[in-house]
Amino acid sequence: MNLEAVIVGAIIGVAAGWLIRRWLAAARRRKEGGCAGDCACATKLKPKK
Amino acid sequence: MSNSAAGLLVALVGNPNTGKSTLFNALTGLRQRVGNYPGVTVARKSGICDLGDGRKVELLDLPGLYSLAAASPDEQVVIDALSGNIVGARRPDAVVLVVDATNLLRNLFLASQVAELGLPVVIALNQADVAKEQGLRIDTGLLSRRLGGVPVVLTSAWQGEGILDVRRGIARALTEPAPMKRVSWPTDIAGALAEVAAAAAADTGRPITEAEAQRLLFDTNPSTAERLGWALARREKTLRVARDRVRHSGYNPMAAEPLVHYAHLRLILEGVVAEGLGKAGRSAAVDRLLLHRFLGPVLFLGIMLGFFGSVFWLAKFPMEWIQAGVDWTKSIVAPPLDAYPMLQSLLADGIIGGVGAFLVFLPQILILFLFIGILEDSGYMARAAFIMDRLFSWCGLNGKSFVPLLSGFACAIPSLLSTRTIEDPKARLATAFVVPFMSCSARFPVYALMCAAFIGPVYGPGWQSVVMIGMHCVGLLFAVPTAFVLTRLVLKVKPQPFVLELPRYQMPKSRDVLWRMWQNAAEFVSRAGTVIFAITIIVWALSYFPRDPAVAERIQAAHPTAAPEVVTAKIQAAYVEQSYMGRFGKAVQPVFDPLGFDWKITVGVLASFPAREVIVSTLGVTYSVGEGAEADSQHLRKAMQDAKWSEGPRAGTPIFSLAAVLALMVFFALCSQCGPTVATLAQETGGWRWAAGSFVYMTALAWLAGTAVYQVVSRLS
Repeated sequence: MNLEAVIVGAIIGVAAGWLIRRWLAAARRRKEGGCAGDCACATKLKPKK
Repeated sequence: MSNSAAGLLVALVGNPNTGKSTLFNALTGLRQRVGNYPGVTVARKSGICDLGDGRKVELLDLPGLYSLAAASPDEQVVIDALSGNIVGARRPDAVVLVVDATNLLRNLFLASQVAELGLPVVIALNQADVAKEQGLRIDTGLLSRRLGGVPVVLTSAWQGEGILDVRRGIARALTEPAPMKRVSWPTDIAGALAEVAAAAAADTGRPITEAEAQRLLFDTNPSTAERLGWALARREKTLRVARDRVRHSGYNPMAAEPLVHYAHLRLILEGVVAEGLGKAGRSAAVDRLLLHRFLGPVLFLGIMLGFFGSVFWLAKFPMEWIQAGVDWTKSIVAPPLDAYPMLQSLLADGIIGGVGAFLVFLPQILILFLFIGILEDSGYMARAAFIMDRLFSWCGLNGKSFVPLLSGFACAIPSLLSTRTIEDPKARLATAFVVPFMSCSARFPVYALMCAAFIGPVYGPGWQSVVMIGMHCVGLLFAVPTAFVLTRLVLKVKPQPFVLELPRYQMPKSRDVLWRMWQNAAEFVSRAGTVIFAITIIVWALSYFPRDPAVAERIQAAHPTAAPEVVTAKIQAAYVEQSYMGRFGKAVQPVFDPLGFDWKITVGVLASFPAREVIVSTLGVTYSVGEGAEADSQHLRKAMQDAKWSEGPRAGTPIFSLAAVLALMVFFALCSQCGPTVATLAQETGGWRWAAGSFVYMTALAWLAGTAVYQVVSRLS
């Protein structure tokens, strides 16, 4: 495998990994009652039980 | 946050539209969205306020509300925050009550209720400049004495006046806490409150405050009882007996609280406000024209036409400069990588081509938000809500739905969050369901690309604006019947009156408008540099691989006498067609064939389901890769204008015909193509059922409407 393919593969891998991580983080925030957007813009206030 | 977070917490509370958010900005220097119609604050906002005496406090901006009788979820948040019932947040040490100086009696009702919580209070009489203009003179010293010595200060947050006095007031309230004078309840009501408090304490095993007892006795909403864990079976009899006692004393239990509070406030305000001659009628005179039954909607349409026309006209040259910058970057990056065609294509066609195609729309987005800011801050947006209400109230939507629907034209996510201001859960659900139909700013680049490439050059700039407005109305046209069916037939929502406070007209403050413009530009650029950047790399990879050398050999053998650039273009086009993306697009294309979409548009549409604006960068990549790295100066628009069907009955005809362009825009106007919106809808409706329903309904509707537009327009033209 040549260097060019390794570089391109790494860039694609980093991009895909970053997108997956971002979407997983948004899903986790939603589960915790946070903002459902992927911008982490607001904190939802949760009343005490 | 800083060390103050562990120190003192001060909450900002007030009626909607009293300039609370503007005062928050002035006190903290921290920016937040400043709207000019009620109900704009729905999320938790906090900042650090320097008191000027070496102390810093955390200032919490709470949603606007009219009373502590929580009817909507955001009102409940205020009550929970002031009572210290928020997880991870403690009770504030003091409260700044922001009061509209032009309407003291109504605004002080909330202050009077907050006084029952026993927190140190500062009263900020905001919009003092307007009160002065109206000829009102307020004796703040007398008011302060009548309220029990709490600091009362005149402010004009909009003009930055009185801010230092508010800081001093907070410092005084924290150092010498003076509780605000509380209401004295008639004997029977006081007795009923004591009975409720004693019974609730006995049943729940926890002490009940006076404020909690009031909420239990006066509110029909059971949220306080539920939070305290007072079971329905146990509280029912106690509350019935206590309310009967209130009734026997001559008060309706549901109206007793405001009646007693207003009587208390009338005594306090006696002689506090002196009325002189003012200019109260200016806004009313303008409203007679702008809210006229027939002239109002015509002027509204005229303003919108001018608005969209200006967006195109003003953004033309900056867009050309950005395009030139993108081309220049390509011309610098591509040549040194001639020996590495794969890397060259990734950088030039993928990253620069894709992100550049998206970034070109930055000037239009800037101008769009500049105009939205001017319309909001001038006070016209609230009038637009009023006009829209008259036009669409028949569809059964709750009056409060119009604020979320209007803000949906910027972004659906905050609009969905702002549906929390709607008390009726069914009306909230119906509103949340139709919010994604509003034409958000992410749809704008799609319309702008299509209008600039195919409508403007052929039919003239006037039609460009008309089509833009038309596309912004398509969502509304489908939202209204959808809301009608939902509210009248499915959910059976009871109609409720629409009470909208029309703010006075004012000159928009350039600092606030420019700041909002900057925030949206930063969000747009940040999206281009993160999500769009990453997605274009993936789209590029899918439209570049696999690259079978046999394809190039076959084409070279088939065209032995053709010019080298012609052969190169044919090879590039063949590579894209046999790429993963090409194969997938061709496999799915028959589904979109009735809408006139070729496989490249199909790929763009499919890639846009997580975020609709991705279509622009996807078309940028697929058309760039198809053209090859040599096509540096080829703009996306030009490449699309030249694209023709290569096979089938439409072979040789333009892919982007008028029918296909309109069908594509209608499809994007109606399709549910935003992952975060679907997720927020699921969160706000308490499950995935309605979110999944919305996705399927909108996508099916988009396909049907797109097909109808293509079939009708292609036959007519």
